[in-house]
Amino acid sequence: MSEVRLQVKNLCKNFGITKAVQNVSFNVNKGEVHALIGENGSGKSTLTNMLTGIYSIGSGTFILDGKEIHPKNQVEANNEGVSIIVQELGTLSGLTVAENIFLGHEDQFVHFGIKNTNAMNKKATELLKKYGFDRIKAADMIDNYNFEDRKLVEIVKATYFDPKVVVIDETTTALSQEGREELYKHMERIRKSGNTVIFISHDLPEILDKSDTITILRDGVYIDTVKSKDVTEEDLKKLMVGREVTGDYYRSDYGEKVSDEVVLSVKNVTVPGLIENVSFDLHKGEILGFGGLSESGMHEIGKAVFGASYDREGAVTLADGTQINSIPTAIKNSIAYTSKDRDNESVVLNQSIGDNICLPSLDELAGKSHILRDKKRKEFADKYAKQMSVKMVDVNQFVSNLSGGNKQKVVLARWIGKDSDIVVLDSPTRGIDIKVKQDIYQLMNQMRKNGKSIIMISEELMELIGMCDRIIIMKDGKVSGQLDRNKDLNENSLISMMV
Amino acid sequence: MGTTKKISGKAMGYVILIGLVILSWAIFKILTPHNFGSFSNMLNYFQASLIATVGAVGFYFVMVMGMFDFSIGANIMLSAIVGCVFATRFNLGYFGLIAGCIITGAIVGTLNGLFYVKLRIPSMIVTTGLALIYESVANYIAGGVEQTLPSNLRAFGQMPGDIILALVACAVAYIFLNYTKIGTYTYAIGSDEFVAKNMGINVNKYKVLAFILSGAFLGVMAILTISYGSSMVAVTGMASMSRNFIPTMGCFFGLAFKKYGMPLPAIIIGEFVINIIFFGFIALGAPTAIQDVITGLALLIIITVTTKATKGEIVK
Amino acid sequence: MGSQVSVKTNDKEQQLKKASKMSLIRSLLPIVGLVVIFLLFNVLTDFRMMGNLSLVFSQIYVTMIAAMGVFFIMTMGGLDFSQGSILGISSIVVCMLSQKSIPLAIIGGIVSGAAIGALNGYFYVFRKIKSFIVTICTMFLFRGFIKYLTTNAPVAGSAKLINYDSTELKIACTVVILLIGFVAFRYTKFGTYLKAIGAGEKAAMFSGIRTDKMKFLIYVLAGAITGFAAFINVIKVGSVTSSGGNQLETQILIALVLGGMPISGGAKVRFENIIVGSLLYVVLNSGLTMMGFSTQMMQLIQGIVFLIFVAVFADRESIQVIK
Repeated sequence: MSEVRLQVKNLCKNFGITKAVQNVSFNVNKGEVHALIGENGSGKSTLTNMLTGIYSIGSGTFILDGKEIHPKNQVEANNEGVSIIVQELGTLSGLTVAENIFLGHEDQFVHFGIKNTNAMNKKATELLKKYGFDRIKAADMIDNYNFEDRKLVEIVKATYFDPKVVVIDETTTALSQEGREELYKHMERIRKSGNTVIFISHDLPEILDKSDTITILRDGVYIDTVKSKDVTEEDLKKLMVGREVTGDYYRSDYGEKVSDEVVLSVKNVTVPGLIENVSFDLHKGEILGFGGLSESGMHEIGKAVFGASYDREGAVTLADGTQINSIPTAIKNSIAYTSKDRDNESVVLNQSIGDNICLPSLDELAGKSHILRDKKRKEFADKYAKQMSVKMVDVNQFVSNLSGGNKQKVVLARWIGKDSDIVVLDSPTRGIDIKVKQDIYQLMNQMRKNGKSIIMISEELMELIGMCDRIIIMKDGKVSGQLDRNKDLNENSLISMMV
Repeated sequence: MGTTKKISGKAMGYVILIGLVILSWAIFKILTPHNFGSFSNMLNYFQASLIATVGAVGFYFVMVMGMFDFSIGANIMLSAIVGCVFATRFNLGYFGLIAGCIITGAIVGTLNGLFYVKLRIPSMIVTTGLALIYESVANYIAGGVEQTLPSNLRAFGQMPGDIILALVACAVAYIFLNYTKIGTYTYAIGSDEFVAKNMGINVNKYKVLAFILSGAFLGVMAILTISYGSSMVAVTGMASMSRNFIPTMGCFFGLAFKKYGMPLPAIIIGEFVINIIFFGFIALGAPTAIQDVITGLALLIIITVTTKATKGEIVK
Repeated sequence: MGSQVSVKTNDKEQQLKKASKMSLIRSLLPIVGLVVIFLLFNVLTDFRMMGNLSLVFSQIYVTMIAAMGVFFIMTMGGLDFSQGSILGISSIVVCMLSQKSIPLAIIGGIVSGAAIGALNGYFYVFRKIKSFIVTICTMFLFRGFIKYLTTNAPVAGSAKLINYDSTELKIACTVVILLIGFVAFRYTKFGTYLKAIGAGEKAAMFSGIRTDKMKFLIYVLAGAITGFAAFINVIKVGSVTSSGGNQLETQILIALVLGGMPISGGAKVRFENIIVGSLLYVVLNSGLTMMGFSTQMMQLIQGIVFLIFVAVFADRESIQVIK
């Protein structure tokens, strides 16, 4: 049974200055479900993307059944016997179901340059039937199906040709229970046929239940490979985070009383299709957390508070009665926001660090004369970039070649420069290494002590538990529960409200 | 259930388009009942609309991928002049006309595609620069003289020649779109270039192919144009740009009706509707200068109606 | 491990050095090109160009003024192909109103230009149609109006207009407008906002910039500026024919590209692009004319030079998918 199928040897990959994967080596056996776990940014997806040809291999090798492979794209990977079901949508709109299934493999239906659409649809129909997805019609436009059905089509696309290795990259979080069962069924089928599943998921109970072997990565480095039956959830957590979670990492205080003073009040806010009738108060000096699945609508809460939602109903009101309905009003009234989509919505990627920091503060910098002086701008940018210890040559450097953590520091420097009182942080530590994470946690704690109020939206439950005075859990666009800061709080109590 | 939905979608598309034909006909028929809209009139309008239809079905491949081409007019002009020169100066007759136009069109398309892919500059900018060059090349070939197609070579300017050529062109486009890899990949690249690339599609190769196809169809449009109008003047100073509009309008019809699964019929009927409106205005006695106004306005309205303005979407 | 790290930083420093070297080349190339071409043509034409300098420059004012508006638009990542038609329509309005009063004519020109700009802005910003498509439509539409209004005879301006045709006035107007534009672009938040919109519109919006309002107003502004340029145009020619303002958009586009402007706008644009570009364009054009090249030949050379410069100055890092 324990014959080696895939050897990963000394694998490395850098993105600019970020070392996403560093010298990783491990083996994957035949006929097993091999889980790959680690915190965000630990390099799981980078590794599997290299295996399946989505990224080029930095250095190192993949040896599949004794043969070295280096696929340049997914089709080449498929021909080597490797396929992937990606985290996001992996099907293309504007094509039919059959065209999506056979994309890149049409040649089997092409004779003398003419594609036999009927034969293709027939084969696709047979496959869909075999998988038990009869309700999906091969000749239909993929656009006619919802996210879940499109994922099922991807399962067919990735497994119909009996690949030796199938990578399933965080697919389950987006699926309903029914869809998950469907996926588990096929994982089991692949495993029984002697082929291998590489399974990536954040859901540790799921991992323990469904996988045979677990490999742990942390910050791009290989940590360990263990048998599922030998470990507990606690063991895995320890391996993922790498140390006992101590007081200085997150906040260490418990039982401090939060001020009763309400600085911002959200009343019956609805954003069609995203959130429904959400109300809450934010207190002075409070860190208020929002948790939930990524589709739960919690990310929209940040935008709604910042006046950035479209078609928002309900009211966002400050203590003095000011209504927040647009971004400029929000900024003028000392509200700051960092987006989950850092590269598009937070930093202006192709602009200098200096301009990025000064952008919302230009009015203050110009003063009454409306004339901006370069020296003053540079001093301002320098001051706050240094305060946040942004790693850079100087403030004229463009943001585009900074690492994720440094980009986030630039965004935070911008809002600290503006001296905002209410700070909305959406996924502030997403894709950021542990060192910078710790800096950000400390900064948040400092801001809290200085009487600033923070809304933190995060998919990482540990940081919510570690940092927040209060956590609101969202589900399907609605508030599904609320938890107060407590030493005994654990992830399970949050998860039960999320799903 | 899926298939019935699709059929009804297609039917829906046809109902809308034929409704537009009837509506535009009815409006002008009421306004000028005597010199507009008889059956033979309508047949004439339809024939005239076929010219642009042929270019539009080719250009559709480029537009679906999300690219643009500003050199359509220059391409038509250059192809028509080369075809005419082949047919007359070199005495190659119809073969010269057809081969000259289509090959020139395809070469222009190849150049557009290669420059766009190799220089990695937005397609509309590359084709603007290239249009300047094509115009002056056309001018050199024509020697500054109007190129006239002799009357014995104008079979494609009247029934049934024009209809046969246009039908063949549309059939070829239909086959390319539905029965070759090129069609599938065109939609795949238009849907999401990154995903398409990850799937192993040679995106650049298919972009160039789309430009070549588009160029060849514009070559066919050049045959129809010079056969219908009997001569071609090589203009300079980007004046050829005025020929861009009508094929582009048809393409927008195609893009808008893509979701009903009937882009090519939408282009054909769409161009017909545009021509009904044009001839309607002519029947009303609108001065020729005003036709440009109508053209610009019509394109703007068609795009406005067919574009869904999504909030927060970034448009450049 | 330690040495590895230092190698790494060295690499990065070298990369940055290379980048800054490239940006230096980019900023110097147009200026060097201008000097070289100017000298070259003077040698080739036995210094006739030097002698006819005022004639050479007589073509530049309108282009340079109008180019400033387009420069602002392109900095935000938009395009405007309707400038020629704006100039034509505004020129007609200036001519018509000049019969009544000259100040009224100037205001009329500006207002009509701004109105067309507002039309562009409306379709672009609020109907979310790509700027180049909107502006080729309006270009064609208003070109039709110009043809219609000049069907029987050119629209003639008042005879008084000729009194204003002095080089001093034209230079003064150009300098004042460019100076205002320069100060606003370089020393107020206006310029930084425009560049931020060009470099990352969403992020700019989340930094508190009212991007839609800004985009709309810039189109209005560009129209108004060209509307004023119509006055300069009319005092030179005295009347407007059906080809009035023809081709201005291509001239401006070529001029800005020659001046080293990246076609996608963003943080790498410089105000100098307008001045250097317009000068380069005019010198190149008059030089070629003086050397006796035909129109076709000039257009061929223009096309080739345009493509070379676009390729050199394109800011490819900031556009992820090039369509």
